[in-house]
Amino acid sequence: MSKSIYITDTKETFDAIVVGSGVTGGWAAKELCEKGLKTLMVERGRPVEHRTDYVGEGVKPWDMPFRGKIEKAVVDEQYYIQKQNYAFNDATKHFYANDRDFPYSTPKEKPFSWIRGNQLGGKSLLWHRQSYRWSDLDFSANAQDGHGVDWPIRYKDIESWYDYVEHHVGISGSVENIAVLPDSKFLPPFEFNAVEKYLKSKIEKKYSDRKLIMGRCAHLSEPAKHHIEQGRYKCMARNECQKGCSFGAYFSTQSSTLPAALKTNNLSIATNSIVHSVIYDKNTNRATGVRVIDSETLEVREYFAKVIFLCASTLGTTQVMLNSVSETFPNGIANSSGALGHYLMDHLYGAGASGTMPGFEDEYYSGRRPTGVYMPRFKNVDKKDADYLRGYSFAGGASRESWGSFAYKDGFGADFKNAIKNAGAWKFSLRGSGEMLPRYENQVSLHPTKKDKWGMPQLHIVCDYSENDIKMLHDIADTAAEMLESAGMKDVSKYIEEWPPGLSIHEMGTARMGKDPKTSVLNGHNQCHDVPNLFVTDGACMSSSAWQNPSLTFMALTARACDYAVEQLKLGNI
Amino acid sequence: MNSHNTGSLITSTVNNPERRTAIKQLAAFCGLALSANSLSLMADSFLMPLDKSRSKNSFLNKSQLALVRELGEIIIPTTETPGAIAAGVHDFISHQAAYCFSADEQQMLQAGLEKIASSANKLYGKDFLLCESAQQIELLTHMEQSKAGFTEDDRQFFKQLKALVVFGYYTSEIGATQELAYFPIPGGYKGSVKFATIGKAWALN
Repeated sequence: MSKSIYITDTKETFDAIVVGSGVTGGWAAKELCEKGLKTLMVERGRPVEHRTDYVGEGVKPWDMPFRGKIEKAVVDEQYYIQKQNYAFNDATKHFYANDRDFPYSTPKEKPFSWIRGNQLGGKSLLWHRQSYRWSDLDFSANAQDGHGVDWPIRYKDIESWYDYVEHHVGISGSVENIAVLPDSKFLPPFEFNAVEKYLKSKIEKKYSDRKLIMGRCAHLSEPAKHHIEQGRYKCMARNECQKGCSFGAYFSTQSSTLPAALKTNNLSIATNSIVHSVIYDKNTNRATGVRVIDSETLEVREYFAKVIFLCASTLGTTQVMLNSVSETFPNGIANSSGALGHYLMDHLYGAGASGTMPGFEDEYYSGRRPTGVYMPRFKNVDKKDADYLRGYSFAGGASRESWGSFAYKDGFGADFKNAIKNAGAWKFSLRGSGEMLPRYENQVSLHPTKKDKWGMPQLHIVCDYSENDIKMLHDIADTAAEMLESAGMKDVSKYIEEWPPGLSIHEMGTARMGKDPKTSVLNGHNQCHDVPNLFVTDGACMSSSAWQNPSLTFMALTARACDYAVEQLKLGNI
Repeated sequence: MNSHNTGSLITSTVNNPERRTAIKQLAAFCGLALSANSLSLMADSFLMPLDKSRSKNSFLNKSQLALVRELGEIIIPTTETPGAIAAGVHDFISHQAAYCFSADEQQMLQAGLEKIASSANKLYGKDFLLCESAQQIELLTHMEQSKAGFTEDDRQFFKQLKALVVFGYYTSEIGATQELAYFPIPGGYKGSVKFATIGKAWALN
């Protein structure tokens, strides 16, 4: 990668500025560059080079100082929130934000776990790669039950953009003809193992409205020609993606969108550049640029462009917008509605069930599959069949107990050692992903007094679960347990965990899309109602949360918004 | 790390020949016709996190270490493959306790070891290390089952100790590569293989 694309001070005015370099920032940079715009991508964290900087990749467990665990003093001081994330370990910690440097507050009784990246690539290095389309069941949900505001788009508006981003990304999956989960043009799906195959047939036979399918994921199970031309290779099934993948086999900014943007020679990148605020010109009613604090020197810089895309992650973007105050916008830029900061959502992830599948002792698998199995939403689809609104999906999988599971079984000695060598019983589990209702009181605001070490006001996050959410969580656990029991599993146990909002890492909302500028921040093109050259395409834009892993939808919305923005620029409208 | 005007952004250009070879072997294994440029991009400038600057703190004292060494080998003995002693599990536990345990966890480890030591003296009139194998196994079995005077807390301690030994053994080179099937780069996922064709459980999961 050319080193000259990295800039700090510049007199250049760009055509476009993209704040953030994660899933949506990378896509915005790619799209805008490919459409001929001189684009500056502004990233608060440090650079991370594909391959070179994947320092945790391929390191053998015994070569790690604590075999993958981390010194307590380091975790307690610097990662006391990030440590809650399933993928956080010694080989991935450098891709997480430092909690000591990026503090935030919540009410004591309403914890929120803000899981964040802080480097080029953002959370595109850390995501779980699960990729599912929305359907009109989801886009029309707010209109149907009155929670939140009606989405200004429907499936038909985004369908071709799903096609478009999926082609570039490469999504592994199977065509299933399920109405609530539209298909894509897939790369081959990963295989079921023997127990999953068996459970699929038992469950689908008993419940005609439930399908257990292979998870759809942004992995090159078999790369297409254009993926190989991008420099990406087939997935090696190591399932250690968050360490970084030198094969480029899963989608990240580094593997996929950044190379494409670089090819155009239109991209510049400013790293270690914390965006303080968007610069607004009230005479023209335009965002003219961004004000940046250098994270290392504290120097303040300004960058200017004709159009600005905020892709700094849901809460990162909203924090910047709230901090962009002016005479016209005393409560944050483009916030005449007062909706900015409100209607924060995350997915309900804390419930599920697991059990043991007797038999199948001669069955095993080879490789560490980077996806589990998936059961799309079946509740409240064609009829109301629950005591709550909206619904959830399941994700999970089967595997044989490994040495880690034996640690807490009884026994020791040669027999114990041999039992571990001969692999344990088959276990299967399902965890729900439930839709959280959009509520005004779930909100973020700038703390009135607390700032971080760069002088940015900290966020104060208030988010809790509604009665609807609690009912859904209970149903998730009950339904999963009932399904596993009916399939003949033993020792079935259900759970509802202490799971603070945010821990699903699907935080969405706070700068929502809507038809009415009085109740929403963005229109149907992710364009600020109030400031026509300012766009928001990360999770902040979401008017509802649905039940699907959202990043694919963020990508599609981003590509679509870029197309619109460039067209509007050409027409002289912005 | 500065990433300013020069655009110097690569974390390090330490040339690690081991890593370079490993990448080339990896590529060859996968039948990847990587260009020379790709290979050198992948192999170069790859800093492994072997943090030798950490002082080698050991939490356990000499006699505690000797006891853990023996306990480890009882839990994961030498069979057709080496056991916990050969895999250095006792040193691992001592190092892990020094850096990764909370003060409470450290205290529990010490107290639990003391309980084993004093129980051996009480029950058999000898140091645990000098007891017969059958006596050692009897003591630990009772502890694990919270029988014969051992409490629920003792049982929990033994479970924690066993978990540590298991973790230390199966993440060691001996445990992962000799006792289990170590397959760092599978190349793909096969959903159904007969267990007998692998013959042992996977080390990585």
